[in-house]
Amino acid sequence: MSTSKISMPKFNLRDKFGDWWEGTTRNQRIIFRVVLIAFFYILPFLDNPVFGTTESDFASVLFYPMGMYVLMAIGLNIVVGKSGILDLGYVAFFAIGAYTHAILGISFGFNFWVNVVLGMAFAMLAGVLLGLPALRLRGDYLAIITLGFGEIVRIVAINVNFTGGAAGLAGIPAPPNFFGVEFLVDDPRPFYWLVLTLSLLTIWAYMRLTKRRPGRAWEAIREDEDVAEFMGIATTKYKLWAFVLGGAIGGGAGAVYASQVTSIVPELFDLNVSIMILACVVFGGMGNIWGVAFGAALLGYFPEKLRFLSDTRILFFGLLMVVMMNIRPDGIIPRKKREKVYDKNTGKEVSR
Amino acid sequence: MSDRLLEVRNLTMQFGGVTALSEVNLHVSEGEIAALIGPNGAGKTTVFNVTTGYYTPTSGQVLLNNESIVGLKPHKIARKGLARTFQNVRLFGDMTALENVMTGADSRNKVGLIGSMFGTAQSRRDEENSHLKAAELLNFMGISHRGGQLARNLPYGDQRRLEIARALALEPKVLLLDEPAAGFNPQEKVELGELIKKIRDAGFAVLLIEHDMSLVMKISDRVSVLDFGQKIAEGTPSEIQNNQRVIDAYLGVADHAS
Repeated sequence: MSTSKISMPKFNLRDKFGDWWEGTTRNQRIIFRVVLIAFFYILPFLDNPVFGTTESDFASVLFYPMGMYVLMAIGLNIVVGKSGILDLGYVAFFAIGAYTHAILGISFGFNFWVNVVLGMAFAMLAGVLLGLPALRLRGDYLAIITLGFGEIVRIVAINVNFTGGAAGLAGIPAPPNFFGVEFLVDDPRPFYWLVLTLSLLTIWAYMRLTKRRPGRAWEAIREDEDVAEFMGIATTKYKLWAFVLGGAIGGGAGAVYASQVTSIVPELFDLNVSIMILACVVFGGMGNIWGVAFGAALLGYFPEKLRFLSDTRILFFGLLMVVMMNIRPDGIIPRKKREKVYDKNTGKEVSR
Repeated sequence: MSDRLLEVRNLTMQFGGVTALSEVNLHVSEGEIAALIGPNGAGKTTVFNVTTGYYTPTSGQVLLNNESIVGLKPHKIARKGLARTFQNVRLFGDMTALENVMTGADSRNKVGLIGSMFGTAQSRRDEENSHLKAAELLNFMGISHRGGQLARNLPYGDQRRLEIARALALEPKVLLLDEPAAGFNPQEKVELGELIKKIRDAGFAVLLIEHDMSLVMKISDRVSVLDFGQKIAEGTPSEIQNNQRVIDAYLGVADHAS
């Protein structure tokens, strides 16, 4: 069921892949995964004029915006895509994570690895404090509250002393060496690997959660919250979990980002970040983690790839968005599940 | 009174100045099919919404297994043994039929979010339980071949059956059916009647809201009639059919002035 106005021939690459994947053996799947993951780890070395970025350093682009967008988008996808909670203040968690590492790293000399965990913890705490009252609301009202939350965090950061006010904080420590990998200011590759690792861990956790009970509960809440409650699902608890887990990913992303850019100002954490990440989720396919990851990578990549167009690149970027939303309104890879139809009498699968 | 699984005592529900239910008494006993009938707007669905915890009653008691459930959240009440279907089908459209039923079955499981993430032995057991139970219930409702299809792509009749299967997955003591035969043809209504009896015989008490009188009269053990929020009659189907107040409520009272 497509809401598209332009009728397109059915684009069945996804079904083809799904059929192929179902026919693979366990070993083939492991090999496929290993090759794919290895490909992403060596990606910074594969800079070339065809798919690399000519005007900016490819490894830098891979870290920011691409990697950061992917990590944050798959975090926000748990909230918006899977559970149907429209969160317009996702940047707040990003800011909390970034400031956690900045403050604790500069003033107290805490190790980055400790700060990532603490940043996630503080983001989760903020998620609980906001979520408990806010998640009683639904739809537009919840969106407005979260929007306000995003702005509140930024404005607080401007107005209190320990965040450095509007001038922000500088000299944020980089992560210490990690088994011989050095995190240097002029080398974005280790940071890219860090974001990639965090993204893979997030995807791993997400896959495990969503194929079991929590995934069904979140989907049920997205489909019809009242009915989910009637079916014995503790909707408040699961909504809060989704909100808090999404927040934790945002917080982790913030800490990584701060460690790479070494200085942060409150203006980095404005509404545009929330909107951009939400656009990644919608563009890629709400509720489908592969679509969201792919969409976020593309939305990070295109503005950099189009940099040779200088100022008009944003125009082309906007055009791309409009075209995409018309031809694939459910995103690049929609969340629609693959259906299996069985014959009533024989019980055999009927080909679609 | 110990065999009364669900009991509603002096239930009053007011919305602002409107009294939707006034001093209503109802009960559902073990192993019976109780029916709740009445003209449109009589307050039948409101009874469901109050007993399942969607509304908190203005006054009165709702007892499930002799335990008060007033003020509990709907999901707590559902887990205590009250499951329902809806007048207009409300399925989780983007989930498969099997997943819809598993969602109900999950509520009987212990595993939480952390356990699911790390794939503990408990989580795997629970997952298997939900899957088996859901498959069994789809089979019971005669729609096992629909398991892999999205709920919203199912034919209407199968959607109704799926909704009942999802409610049964909660292992309720009492099953509340809100107009399950709406939109069915006579043949389907007969089949549904058999199905409801089968559900009763499987050990679930049923409280049925239904407009189709032939169905109600054929399968119900006891019928209660609501009119303008008040219970006007209760009895066996044959008693209700001959009750003058019920006939008046449905057909209207002759106006003497005309």
